[in-house]
Amino acid sequence: MKPKLILGIIAIVGFTSLLMYNFGNSISTYVNFEQAVEMNNAHVVGSWDDSKDYGFSMESKQFSFYMEDEDGNIRRVVYPKAKPNNFEEADQLVVIGEMQGEVFYADEMLMKCPSKYNNADEAEFEKAMPANS
Amino acid sequence: MIKFFGEFFVNAAFLTSILAAIGYFVYSQREEKRYLKVSNWLFGIQGLFLLVASGLLLYIILTHQFNFYYVYNYTSSDLQLRYLISAFWGGQEGSFMLWILFSIFIGFGLMKWAREPYRGPVLFFLTLTQVFLFSMIAGIPFGDFTLGASPFRTLAEAMPNAPFLQSNPDFVPQDGKGLNDLLKSPWMMIHPPILFVGFAMMTVPYCFAMAALWKRKYNEWVGPALPWTLGANVALLTAIFLGGYWAYVTLSFGGYWAWDPVENASFVPWLLGTAGIHTMIIQRKSSTSQKASIVFAILAYVAIVYETFLTRSGVLSDSSVHSFVDLGLYNQLVVFMAAVTFIGLGLFIYRYKELPKQEKESKLLSREFMTFAGAMMLFLIGLVIILGTSSPIIGRLFVDNPTPPEVSFYNDWTMPMAMIAAIMTVLGQYLFWKRQDGESLAHDLTLPVALTCVVTLVSIFMGEVRNLYYMLFLLTAWFAVIGNVIIMIRLARKKPMLIGGTLSHVGFGVLLLGILASSAYNANLLDDATKRYNAAIKNGEITDEQGFRKTQTVDFLELELNEPKVINDKYRVTYEGYTLKNQERPGQQEYKIKFEPAGGEGQQFTLNPQVYPMLSSSTAQEIQWSVDPDVRSGLFSDIYLYVSGSSFVERKNEQAKQQGNNTASASGGMEDSVAVQKIKLERGDSTSVGPFDIVLRDYRQVEDQQLQDSTVVAVRAYIDIAQRGSDNSRVIDPLYSIYVENGQNWSYAPPQQIPEYNGTVQFSSIDPTTGEVELTFRGVKEEVEEEWVLLVAEEKPFISIVWFGTFLLMGGFSISIFRHWDRERKKS
Repeated sequence: MKPKLILGIIAIVGFTSLLMYNFGNSISTYVNFEQAVEMNNAHVVGSWDDSKDYGFSMESKQFSFYMEDEDGNIRRVVYPKAKPNNFEEADQLVVIGEMQGEVFYADEMLMKCPSKYNNADEAEFEKAMPANS
Repeated sequence: MIKFFGEFFVNAAFLTSILAAIGYFVYSQREEKRYLKVSNWLFGIQGLFLLVASGLLLYIILTHQFNFYYVYNYTSSDLQLRYLISAFWGGQEGSFMLWILFSIFIGFGLMKWAREPYRGPVLFFLTLTQVFLFSMIAGIPFGDFTLGASPFRTLAEAMPNAPFLQSNPDFVPQDGKGLNDLLKSPWMMIHPPILFVGFAMMTVPYCFAMAALWKRKYNEWVGPALPWTLGANVALLTAIFLGGYWAYVTLSFGGYWAWDPVENASFVPWLLGTAGIHTMIIQRKSSTSQKASIVFAILAYVAIVYETFLTRSGVLSDSSVHSFVDLGLYNQLVVFMAAVTFIGLGLFIYRYKELPKQEKESKLLSREFMTFAGAMMLFLIGLVIILGTSSPIIGRLFVDNPTPPEVSFYNDWTMPMAMIAAIMTVLGQYLFWKRQDGESLAHDLTLPVALTCVVTLVSIFMGEVRNLYYMLFLLTAWFAVIGNVIIMIRLARKKPMLIGGTLSHVGFGVLLLGILASSAYNANLLDDATKRYNAAIKNGEITDEQGFRKTQTVDFLELELNEPKVINDKYRVTYEGYTLKNQERPGQQEYKIKFEPAGGEGQQFTLNPQVYPMLSSSTAQEIQWSVDPDVRSGLFSDIYLYVSGSSFVERKNEQAKQQGNNTASASGGMEDSVAVQKIKLERGDSTSVGPFDIVLRDYRQVEDQQLQDSTVVAVRAYIDIAQRGSDNSRVIDPLYSIYVENGQNWSYAPPQQIPEYNGTVQFSSIDPTTGEVELTFRGVKEEVEEEWVLLVAEEKPFISIVWFGTFLLMGGFSISIFRHWDRERKKS
């Protein structure tokens, strides 16, 4: 009984610590472009800078745009896929990839769309009319 | 009025559910029949109220009452009936209602089938969970705090900060925001209801476990709880399958599984429920594992509530591809979760000392030990997935603002555990049906082990597997398939109803084979030039315009109209144009991509991926496009492709931009830039102008009443005009006429508009000697434009095996439901 129990505890402790260690390694924190320079798999949060050129290039088969991170750094982001649906609508973007020089090469991109709940925007109501009642 | 009645009935149902819960509680304590009767009536009335409220919600959706936030937010007046109906569960509020609705039907079932002494407590806990769910949609204000988000709240209540509502609170929009185009799919109609059936059914084992603890009857509860748990399991599995299939065939996610929180939200309860099924089966057979059965029954439901919390509280909004709306239910969901967990585990700990202890240790080679170990494996897999999914919360232990874990975290942990589980399924089954010792087991296992080795070696050679880990994976998966098939055949000969468990285990093995084959051998379909280019990128030979080395390969397949490319030495692929399908969605294009075998032998086929503008989110200047992939499913491999760009889409975007500029700058100088082209054609000739293909079908003299009396001759040309690549050609018939006025001949030839285009065609002259007709095009680009399409195309091997494995699992569990249900029925 005793050795079995000890063995069991060792197994549980070993499993849990290995799992947590691995889990800790596989997550990272959201960073800005400057911090991303030294990272391989950086998650950068920011918003699309729509004042600059953006679009899909047929020659290089890449979608590129400028993004402003939360600390105000603006970098060009290159994404090797087509422009995602609702890119323009997103009020926040998360790009996952790495920096090379001044360009961020994103392997993945997540779009956070505006909450429909509180920030109702008048422009949404273009078709709207006051009711007669 | 409807608002009042809607909220009234929701809250009346809320109140009755509280009363019913109290009634069931009293009944469980005192065991007097009248309390049960009253509570059952209250429960039924609650269901009736909820049914009326649901009817009202459906009514305001079907009658387009856009002053309601829910109706405005999820529907629009042009939505088809079936999507209007599915809008009922398209939002969070309605989906809570659906969940309770199913739960009520289950309640009626439990009234009939749950026997004493469990009946009272089971119904009490079921009603208690309904009370919590009702609180999510009650919409009762307490000062600044509102309890739940009512589906019947108005726009003004939902968006108090909107300025236009402050100035005019009676404002009613003429149309709603509509359903997201991606959700306009038949899957949207069936996937969520099945999921909620699963959620509702998974409450039942929780209720039974709690009843067992309450009534101190720790053994008999598994009998009636087992079929319900199996039912929940099948419902969840079906929902997971439908979700995966939906993601694969219509959402262009590129696969069936991505470890997204929403996917995990239905998978973890399934794993824990399945773990519970294992321990319950053991407990029923040999009265061990009582503690584990109770704990798993509790945890499976806690997992449902926890994952509901994760997906609906907004904590995951950064880390998921699904969009979440935070309805302000965070605190309520925390309370719900805490209550379910603490009541469940609290009662368990309170009774812990009394719980039956196992008299002697199970041997390593016993069905008790092996099945229990299998359940633990499932539990651990579930734990790993919960850990990963909880990264926004648990990750704070490590970093400040945690990202979700890399996908490899899930794969690295779950796959080895699945491999161990695969081996255990066979050992467990060999021990389950026969008492064995090491020697007899080794003897019995000789055949499956030998067969497994042969089959694994063959698949390693055939599939050219080089990776040691994959080889090991194959070995375990084949072992699960072959070992369980052998037992299944033996059982089927004795009594076919017994095969449920083995069939599920075969399904599990098949699923593992499918997962490996489909994920490890997924290949992009590329032509040779692109492959060479990608090889050069890998060698670091390509630099981009800024002088940096390109690291990202190009995974697109670009095709020009009617110019075939050979891909992967296997197919000759041709873009054969597109069809405009305005009747399904305005502006939808269906592309024709023909695949022929490159070698010349074999079947040819055509795939039809689609592209459509998302009208709800497009503006006049900016069209947002969405895609619908097409999949050719084969026995051995699927071809999966979607359009990520085309000349048609490009042109439409340009036009939209131009129109935007025109309206902005009131269109100056348009006439100057109009290109004028004259083209001479004979009957039957065809040519191309700008983006159009043109055929002069015929021209002939007409006698038109509307022409002036002085007309000498009038000729109409009949021209087929089609955008190149499109087979939707239109006929236009420009007129050329000569009339006499003041003794002079004049020609009259009005330019005719090209449909859906700014340019015009004019029948400008005719040469009587040669029969040649001259057409003048205005506003059409001079150079002939190339028609192209940009595809993302992948070959995905053995996806069918994944589905097949899933079906086997469903089949196995379903057979088990019938077996256990049948036995329970015979008992009474």
